[in-house]
Amino acid sequence: MPSHPINETRDQDKSRELKALGFIILLLFPILTITGISAYGFIIWMIQAFGGVVAH
Amino acid sequence: MKWFITLWRTLNKPAKTLTLGAISLSAFLMGIIFWGGFNTALEATNTEAFCISCHSMESTPYKELQETVHWSNHSGVRATCPDCHVPHNWSRKIGRKIEASHDMWGWLLQTVNTEEKFEAKRLEMASREWKRFDRDNSLACKNCHNYDSMKWDEMSKLAQKQMKRAAELDQSCIDCHKGIAHKLPDMGTSRAPELIAQVGSGESSLVIGENYFSALTKPLFFNEKTDVEAGTLNIATKVKVLELKGQRAKVGIDGWRKKIGAGRVIYFDFGMNILSAQLSKDAALEPGVMEVFEEQQDPLTGLTWQRVEAKIWVDGDYLVKDLQPLWDYARDTYSSSCSVCHTQPDEAHFDANTWPGMFQGMIAFVNMDQDTQALVQKYLQEHSSTFDKSAH
Repeated sequence: MPSHPINETRDQDKSRELKALGFIILLLFPILTITGISAYGFIIWMIQAFGGVVAH
Repeated sequence: MKWFITLWRTLNKPAKTLTLGAISLSAFLMGIIFWGGFNTALEATNTEAFCISCHSMESTPYKELQETVHWSNHSGVRATCPDCHVPHNWSRKIGRKIEASHDMWGWLLQTVNTEEKFEAKRLEMASREWKRFDRDNSLACKNCHNYDSMKWDEMSKLAQKQMKRAAELDQSCIDCHKGIAHKLPDMGTSRAPELIAQVGSGESSLVIGENYFSALTKPLFFNEKTDVEAGTLNIATKVKVLELKGQRAKVGIDGWRKKIGAGRVIYFDFGMNILSAQLSKDAALEPGVMEVFEEQQDPLTGLTWQRVEAKIWVDGDYLVKDLQPLWDYARDTYSSSCSVCHTQPDEAHFDANTWPGMFQGMIAFVNMDQDTQALVQKYLQEHSSTFDKSAH
């Protein structure tokens, strides 16, 4: 049965790829985005705290 | 670690089993769900219900708002917490949300959880909010109110005059309209939080023989232990530390006094009404406190002045090495407070003895605590034409 190991790697590949995709879109990117927005907000806060005037 | 390597290898290669369509569609949908969720959460923290879910917000500022026109009025428009306290522009809103992490500390440490604590911090918190309004020219007000939409005819003559002037300058609303949505803090009797924030609360340790300047108006004491006050040390006065005991320092205050009565008021220099310290009568007569040197007669008033040095105790806090930050604060306050209504005269426009009358005549029109008042007056006197010979 030469085809069996190939199918098995295919299934493994699929599960690996699904996990990787899930990890990226459900965890990594949302966390990175929120971190990025927080950092952006923090920078604005600091600019206002030390720089004073802000453009609006 | 192994899972990470496997993950990295999977992500680094083209997908073998997932189709490009499945990947891009799932990413696209997740993008929508994430961003929608994020903004929903952001909006949820931008509601009155969220703000007053915290006891200290619900018990005081919210109750006070309910008594004002911003809560209920004949046009039925209500301003809720975020309308005034959170910027509407997205970037600044995010900045403000992160800044609010500071309020989380206050909540964790229970900084304002009782009425007493709230009142004690009211001026500090209000000052922070006024600063925010100052910074963007009261944009929060102007999101609803507009100078161009004002119906001048319905205003009183006085209001018209003031508002038209303000409209010309596009003046910041908070310059005049403080304490309209919450109770106005007690300005006159509390210490100057903005001044303390800028200048600090004094040196960590004092050195005998060094000169320092008072960063607030401070009580003087008869000795290192007693609570009996012997007078007051005026703000921005130079003192020399002579002795240190516990929390107190014995300081020498150099100056001149008028040779009348007990001679308990010490002035900055001969013939000048710039206050350095006022001793109580008992203190002025106490042996060892006042050391008297030469005398001189003021030809203008005919009064005899004496050069003196008072040696007396004061608490070791709020004594700073550098006078300049105090003057910087005074200059900023002078130009911002006085320019609200008119162009303020140059510091050197009047002499040291004319300024107190000018200044006291105007002080009723601005909100200044007593320490700041005393500091600004002294700043004006010490930068007056008496000292600055470049003008007039």
